Amino acid sequence: MPLDPGLLFVQLLGGLSRAMILFLLSSGLSLTFGVMNILNFAHATLWLVGGYVTFSVFSFLAVPLGESGLVLVLAILIGTALMVILGYLIERVLIRRMYARELPEQLLLTFALILIFGDLIKLIWGVEDRSIYFPIEPLEMLDTFVNPYYFVVLAAGVGVAAGLWWFLQKTKYGKIVRAAVYSRDMVSALGIRIPLIYAGVFALGIGIAAFAAGVFLPLMPMALGVDTDLIVQCFAVVVIGGFGSIIGTFAASLIVGVVYSFSVLIWPDGALAVIFLIVVMVLIVRPWGLFGTELRY
Amino acid sequence: MTDRRENDKNWIGRLYDWAGLSAPVGVILLVAFILVPVLPGDFWTEVGTEVLILGLFAMSFNLIYGYMGQISFGHAAFFGLGAYATAMLFRYFSGGTGEITTWQFVITLLVGPPVAALGSFIVGIFVIRLTGIYFAILTLAFGELIFFIVFSWYSFTGGDDGIQRLLPPAIFRDAAVYYYFTLAIVALATFIMWRITRSPFGYVLRCMRENPLRTRFIGINIKRYMLVNFVVAGTFAGVAGALWGPFTRSVGPLLLGWQEGGIAVFMTLIGGAGYFVGPFLGSIVYTFLNAYVTGFTVYWPLTIGVVILLIVIFAPGGLMGIIDAKISQGWFGLFRKKEPSENLNRLKTDEEAGD
Repeated sequence: MPLDPGLLFVQLLGGLSRAMILFLLSSGLSLTFGVMNILNFAHATLWLVGGYVTFSVFSFLAVPLGESGLVLVLAILIGTALMVILGYLIERVLIRRMYARELPEQLLLTFALILIFGDLIKLIWGVEDRSIYFPIEPLEMLDTFVNPYYFVVLAAGVGVAAGLWWFLQKTKYGKIVRAAVYSRDMVSALGIRIPLIYAGVFALGIGIAAFAAGVFLPLMPMALGVDTDLIVQCFAVVVIGGFGSIIGTFAASLIVGVVYSFSVLIWPDGALAVIFLIVVMVLIVRPWGLFGTELRY
Repeated sequence: MTDRRENDKNWIGRLYDWAGLSAPVGVILLVAFILVPVLPGDFWTEVGTEVLILGLFAMSFNLIYGYMGQISFGHAAFFGLGAYATAMLFRYFSGGTGEITTWQFVITLLVGPPVAALGSFIVGIFVIRLTGIYFAILTLAFGELIFFIVFSWYSFTGGDDGIQRLLPPAIFRDAAVYYYFTLAIVALATFIMWRITRSPFGYVLRCMRENPLRTRFIGINIKRYMLVNFVVAGTFAGVAGALWGPFTRSVGPLLLGWQEGGIAVFMTLIGGAGYFVGPFLGSIVYTFLNAYVTGFTVYWPLTIGVVILLIVIFAPGGLMGIIDAKISQGWFGLFRKKEPSENLNRLKTDEEAGD
């Protein structure tokens, strides 16, 4: 295959945008697990629900306001807000009952949520793919045409990553969340209401996922079954990066996204296999992940 | 086994003490299964065959979940590997005509479990390196990887078309004959599994589940035990898989997917993971519920999802757990009031589980 710089560039952009979506999902997954010790198998399914909700909000708003970028931004914000509320409710009604339970039961609860929400999507939105089509003028770069929306997606991903980092490192609430990762009892003894933190973190994770879904709507159609592909790749990301590390998650997302994108170019059927090869290698050398700490099991 | 007085009990009570609730329920189930083909028509026999094969699959899963305390979301990979190994040899023998001699048929069945064992050994080497959440993730990931390989390797496995026309030799085509053949194999496999769970090996597994650190302190190589158990479970899943192809006359890549693995998980959960025959009971309930619900709605995942949700939240011991609790309350006066029996009742209540 001739090394066409334009093609490689498009592939790189595709890989980076894929990395962004993986990061936005995995960071929520990793954060929820770090704080609450609950691994949410349904995280990608809720991402998908977020995408459908945003689509519906967009369609609803587009009737009086017309289809414009501003309406999309508005739809994304409303969709995210709705999903934050849903995430809060899920935590309050279901997840909250599971904190004292054993790990397999917690996993099973979120596993059941995949089925429930997956089917609810089918029930509400039917089986057709949903996406928002924007006629955007392609940019000409390196002798090829590039959809400029890729850059919007990348900016949004990096923006959320930076925002999350700032929130966790610099704000009071972020510090409480990080403290809760280390010692729930201590945080609780200081008079901070742990249940509120839990609900907030869970809702935040879902919110980030929903935001990601909304931002990706013009690029990537929402379709049934996409969620399970994605959650498996998110797991690859958190295993490679190590749980509880935002930087690790970011680095691993880049690795997985870009490697996947180029593997598709070279060996379309084996792209997923290449990702798992990386997972296996990481597990052999550093079972706790590239950026994780060995003490966490 | 027990510190209660042995002599003031009837035989049911003694059986109960010896083997928990599993032995009496197992005996009842065995008798019921033997009688199934007596029912008119082939329908019940075929449902019965499905219950048996999937029940064996679920029980093999429970070796990992109930006994070892790890949850595998990729267990269907070994079920599917067994099914594919059998089906591919079947295709080779029959040359696409669908005709196969009896001894060739037996050989095709024998090839499924070793292939599943090999697959679970290779996967096991990697997944046993970690436990808990990572174990769940890795089994899911490897299961999906194997699914993906089978799905996309069109020239070798037939891709998403799968392998069709697996018509067993003439004598096995009768539903009742294949049913009893399945029953014999499943009963034998179940008996072997029962012996395994009651052996020192089985107790080491439980010990690892309760406290891995202490298990290591008494000089047990827990990684080796995990690997061996993973392979044993994979092999029995392969036995179930080998029986599946000739039963449905075809295999497809979905047999290896996470949804199929979910079936084993759900059956185990419905029946009760803390009990040896729990998954089998779950298989009966699941299969009938599936047949009933899919009769009037396509939203089966939603239904089973809600069922699982309710069980996880309100009855983590499953059906067997409910029965056990009733018996310990002196249900119908059939039994003396006693402590819940269970030999592997791992599922903690909310009060005793601290963080």
